[in-house]
Amino acid sequence: MRPYVLRRLALAVPTLGLVSVIVFSIMRLMPGDVVIRMVEGHAYAPTIDALRRELGLDRPAWVQYADWIGGIVLRGDFGTSFWTRQPIWDEFIQRFPVTLELAALTILASVVIGVLVGIVSAIRQDSAADYLGRVLAILALSVPYFGLAVLVVVLPSIYFKWTPIWTYVPLSTSPLENLKIMLVPALVFGVTRAGPIMRIMRSALLDILRQDYIRTAWSKGLPERAIVLRHALKNALIPVVSLIGLQTPLYIGGSVIIEAIFRLPGVGLFFFEALTRLDYPVVQSVNLIIATMVVGLNLAIDLSYAFLDPRIRYR
Amino acid sequence: MATVAPASAPSIVLGRRLPRTRPWYLEVWVQMLRRKPLGTLGAAIVGGMLFLAVFADALTPYGFAETNLRERFVSASATHWLGTDQIGRDVATRILYGARISLYVGFGAVALASVLATLLGIFSAYWGGRLDLLLQRAVDAWMAFPGLLILMSIMSLLGPSVLNITLVLGIAAGIRESRIVRGVALSIRENTYIESARAMGSGHLRVTLVHILPNVLPTIIVVATTGLSTVILTEASLSFLGLGVPPPHPTWGGMLSLAGLDHMYRAPWLAIWPATALSLAVFGFNMLGDALRDLLDPRLKGA
Repeated sequence: MRPYVLRRLALAVPTLGLVSVIVFSIMRLMPGDVVIRMVEGHAYAPTIDALRRELGLDRPAWVQYADWIGGIVLRGDFGTSFWTRQPIWDEFIQRFPVTLELAALTILASVVIGVLVGIVSAIRQDSAADYLGRVLAILALSVPYFGLAVLVVVLPSIYFKWTPIWTYVPLSTSPLENLKIMLVPALVFGVTRAGPIMRIMRSALLDILRQDYIRTAWSKGLPERAIVLRHALKNALIPVVSLIGLQTPLYIGGSVIIEAIFRLPGVGLFFFEALTRLDYPVVQSVNLIIATMVVGLNLAIDLSYAFLDPRIRYR
Repeated sequence: MATVAPASAPSIVLGRRLPRTRPWYLEVWVQMLRRKPLGTLGAAIVGGMLFLAVFADALTPYGFAETNLRERFVSASATHWLGTDQIGRDVATRILYGARISLYVGFGAVALASVLATLLGIFSAYWGGRLDLLLQRAVDAWMAFPGLLILMSIMSLLGPSVLNITLVLGIAAGIRESRIVRGVALSIRENTYIESARAMGSGHLRVTLVHILPNVLPTIIVVATTGLSTVILTEASLSFLGLGVPPPHPTWGGMLSLAGLDHMYRAPWLAIWPATALSLAVFGFNMLGDALRDLLDPRLKGA
């Protein structure tokens, strides 16, 4: 197992190097000059050239790239925001728990809904419950999460006089109040992501319930509950786990929109605000940090298969 | 160049050997009607959407940007079937024209993506070796980005416009889809008929165009149709954030938009109808794509 982990880690390094080159080139080659906006709209410096020099943008592109990557690798310094001059990493770390909590609750909601409905659908194949579950899955796949989020924000406030809570309370201040705030966004997002989980859970479980060892379990006289939960479920969860892994980028991209709608002060909102102000250092560093996390998570998920299914051995 | 009938895999791929009375691209639709009720429903929705988009001008007496400040926030009535918005624009009209923009961006981006994915995928698979390795590492790096994040970054720098979003979505999807095309092309390359074509003196170009391309085509069609719903949804997400199609063009994502949230408390239909239209379109394209995939290329199940 250890050589496999090391090889995977070694392969991740060039990938991340390429990621950093891609994101840097996109930021520097595209039109849209933040410096002009900062000088003309907000008088950050007397002249455009002066500000360009101050921000180090007058140097050749490769020097800027080397400076950026060097800072990250050598000192863990992800640069500072053009506008606020605050270190990006500090801001990121401060806001990250909000996004992490949202993602965790979203994944929890989508897995609980998806796995439960998927199980019922599979063990009662072609029953009314199965059809209901499949229709729900198709609906969940079709309704865009931001559309559902807008409807959940707007409609209850008109018809039931209920609105989501807008002022954010950190988890550390009051866990209960915090949960009340996070629950609605996580449920909205989780419900729309449950569709694919339901479908894959159902087909994986159906497949496994037809295998020989399940027939053996039946003929031993085990109750259905034990067969489904203890014998079949663990194997059927493997495709679910890899689906969640594949979908992580969607959870992260979606959290930008969900945080913007529900005004949660997470990384997504940080990123979105930086975008609207063309704050390159923030945009490129956040992109790189998150891409690194995605690569790391995918590795972790690959390794978790060995736990879920001991038949999988790595060389 | 003598005409060579393209290698005809589809009749086998369709699941059963049929007497070939119809060409495969017609046979698919017959099978769809017979065996895939949801796919047929999807095709009907997509067809209806196409109809509305093409004849939008004839179907509504209003212009999509026509404002009428005396009729703001009017709820559904005989003159405004789905009501009006904060500056008196007819919501039904904007939904119709929104279908046009969605399809325009969707088909444009998917066409670009398919061409790019085909070129990149076949080239990488056929050439193989170090070039393939290099290209695939670049694709890996691209796929490490959470899609929406990098697309938002690019769109905010380029500035919102119909052309920009079509190009950006097309290129992004093309790079992603090239992986699937490459996989299929790799397995086709190993067939002995490729070897014999080479042995008979066919050039690389001829082998790729005459022997590989026709066999990859069903896969490309499947990837393109399933990609359509993703592209339309992504365009809507970006327009929702104000980074996609700029006003005054009506788009479903833009109509739902974050910026207009305050008006929706007064006029909930401003949120309901675009969300419904978008869901219906995504549903239609999903069902059509799934059915086409099952009929044309069952290997891609789960892709």
